[in-house]
Amino acid sequence: MSGGPAVQISIESSAEKQIQEVGLDGSETYVQPLSMSQNLARLAQRIDFGQDSDEEENGERSLPRENDWGDQDEEEGLVKFQPSLWPWDSVRNHLRGTLTEMCVLHDVLTLVKDKRYMHLDPVSQESIAPKQSQHGLLLVSKRKSLFSAAQILLKGGERLSKSVAENQENKRQRDFNSELLRLRQHWKLRKLGDKILGDLSYRSAGSLFPHQGTFEVIKNTDIDLDKKIPEDYCPLDVQIPSDLEGSAYLKVSIQKQSSDIGDLGTVNLFKRPLPKTKPGTPHWQSKLEAAQNVLLCKEIFAQLSREAVQIKSQIPHIVVKNQIISQPFPGLQLSISFCHSTNDKKSQKSSSDKMNPEDHLYVLEHNLHQLIREFHKQTLSNIVMPHPASAPFGHKRMRLAGPQAFDRNEINTMQQSEGLLEKIIKQAKHIFLRSRTARTIDSLASRIEDPQIQAHWSSINDVYESSVKVLITSQGYEQICKSIQLQLNIGVDQIRVVHRDGRVITLSHQEQELQDFLLSQMSQHQVLAVQQLAKVMGWHVLSFSNHVGLGPVESIGNASSITVASPNGDYTVSVRNGPESGSKVMVQFPRCQSKEVPKSDVLQDNKWTHLRGPFKEVQWNKMEGRNFVYKMELLMAALTPC
Amino acid sequence: MGVTCVTQVPLAEGKSIQQTVEILTRKLEQLGAEKQGTFYVDCETYHTAGTNVGSTGQSGKLLYIMHCSEYPLSTFALFENGPCLVADQNLDVMMIKLKGFFQNAKANKMETRGTRYQYCDFLVKIGTVTMGQSGRGISVEVDYCPCAVPGDCWNLMVEFMQSFMGSHAPTVPPVFSSKHDALYTPADTMVQYMELLNKIRKHQQGTVTGMRL
Repeated sequence: MSGGPAVQISIESSAEKQIQEVGLDGSETYVQPLSMSQNLARLAQRIDFGQDSDEEENGERSLPRENDWGDQDEEEGLVKFQPSLWPWDSVRNHLRGTLTEMCVLHDVLTLVKDKRYMHLDPVSQESIAPKQSQHGLLLVSKRKSLFSAAQILLKGGERLSKSVAENQENKRQRDFNSELLRLRQHWKLRKLGDKILGDLSYRSAGSLFPHQGTFEVIKNTDIDLDKKIPEDYCPLDVQIPSDLEGSAYLKVSIQKQSSDIGDLGTVNLFKRPLPKTKPGTPHWQSKLEAAQNVLLCKEIFAQLSREAVQIKSQIPHIVVKNQIISQPFPGLQLSISFCHSTNDKKSQKSSSDKMNPEDHLYVLEHNLHQLIREFHKQTLSNIVMPHPASAPFGHKRMRLAGPQAFDRNEINTMQQSEGLLEKIIKQAKHIFLRSRTARTIDSLASRIEDPQIQAHWSSINDVYESSVKVLITSQGYEQICKSIQLQLNIGVDQIRVVHRDGRVITLSHQEQELQDFLLSQMSQHQVLAVQQLAKVMGWHVLSFSNHVGLGPVESIGNASSITVASPNGDYTVSVRNGPESGSKVMVQFPRCQSKEVPKSDVLQDNKWTHLRGPFKEVQWNKMEGRNFVYKMELLMAALTPC
Repeated sequence: MGVTCVTQVPLAEGKSIQQTVEILTRKLEQLGAEKQGTFYVDCETYHTAGTNVGSTGQSGKLLYIMHCSEYPLSTFALFENGPCLVADQNLDVMMIKLKGFFQNAKANKMETRGTRYQYCDFLVKIGTVTMGQSGRGISVEVDYCPCAVPGDCWNLMVEFMQSFMGSHAPTVPPVFSSKHDALYTPADTMVQYMELLNKIRKHQQGTVTGMRL
């Protein structure tokens, strides 16, 4: 060994300090070396006290033995000098060891028992480490419990929000259903597949118009929840056919016939303000009503244009685009146009400025609607139930025509059904005639002051007939001059004038005829008024004629004349009044008063002076008085001797 | 619908039916009556057949089914001296179904056809009565439209009829006397026609040989 190379072997203690852990960077953390007490405690910890108790037991048991052996020890002490020689040497060694241990045990027990020298405390070496970990554990457990609590809360919140959303969804669903119920109350609905279709046609009311007129009910529930719900939000929406959208109306107007034929059939559209929806009605209601109105207007127009083509009239009706033109009277045209404005902005702007809505006859538009509804009703009543199984289909009166033996005339009157167009033309004629009559009377009343003309229109009219009472009076003498009272019955084509005395005069639709007639009546009135006045004043009517055959020929009617004599017969007043020539008043003086009459050789006698003298004309326009009758009264008064 | 009188006009001396009708119409037109299309009245005869006829011993009653252009939707079913039924045209179809009870005597079908004239309130129908193919006589119907009570207008009607028929104007028809003050009905007209046609038929059967046109 000494001959070999010297190898240095370094020896170091394996570790003075125990390594607790090696960090990821290689640094080592050491466990702090134990202090004395700690070391003791550790060592003490290693003692298995359970085992010790066994040993103690053994010790207890061996105690008497000890005592026994105590003596033996003393005896054996004598032979300790020859241990190896002693045959009981091993036994002695054992005993000795046992004794030592027994003594130690005894000491320890006394120490423990007396507590005078040492106080035993429960081992508290591990107490620090568990405390720290307990903190950690506490933290962890607290965190865990908090976490689980949070979990529960979150879950609950989630469930709540879900249920709220569901509620809203349900509510909207319920709104939809209630809206559907309301819709169902007003409109016919049916289910087709997964769609709900409605019917806005008038078919169930008797319409024969072939348009489908269906609309679709849409559920409008999937709106964005985050956005604000608009004010007029409705979970139910309707979709109407595109050709029924917007608003429509029929424009009926009567105009002077335009010489320019170029503007025929142009779309006279002006935007009519949409009727305000009644508060409380859902917007689908107004939408559907508008659509239904469009449909009805379409039907009316289709019916009218069909009739316009079919009906043979002297002047054919013209149907151009959306306009039907007819000539009720020569030089006059009735146009019925179908105006349909969609929500398209362009079409409204272009045509709105030209129109003047005044010439729109609302009455006729209304009547058109009424007529089509009557027509509907008629078709509906044809198939009224119950119906005898053996009888032919048709109107009930038609059914009874056989058994009740209706003759040809009756059947004809039943079958005769005037078309919509004919009726509306007749109504238009009447309306036109009525308004023109009113205008004629009014213009005469404002133009002519002396005999006053009053018109009393009856407030109740038929669609084809209305009447007006015309009174011709003089101001201030209404009570005595009531001779002219005319009843004008305005019909479709003519005006029938019923005189107070029962005479009936039929005037045509020409305006001039009525005017001339009224003028001649006014002129007659003056003469009649003089007659009445003469009665009141005590004068005598010598002659009276409504139609004088003498004098200048009047262009309108005839002149009328009257001659009245004063109460004592001295004076005679003769009045001639013509509608055109006006009035001419002449006074006849007694022969004695007139100076111009030359003395005749033949009439020498005084009695001849009582003969009537010549007539002299009164300068009527220089007379005082506000009107003819007043002037006449003054004249009569002047000629009447007191 | 007014009061109607149906009568027969005998042939003028030495004239055919056609000529007599022409004479009548000319007279009417001279009065100022306006021609208003044509008219017809037809009458079919049905024999009542079946079990009850023989047993009761009655010689089968005759049922007459009549149509008139004046009442185009009606069918009249009459028994001689019996009730008159007014029905719609479905009755014709029903008669076919009732073949077992009523048998159509086709040979006895009679008809009168002619022209309809209007003279103010009067309707005058002058027709030729035919049975089969041969003409048998002339019927004249005068209808006064504005009145419905026979007694009120009979004198007026007689006066009018005398104006174009002269001495052939009829005496009061039996229908009139029975309902003097009651309302006149279309069925009464048909009864008169039935009686007229029956009279002509019986007359023909009596004389055996028919008139030639």
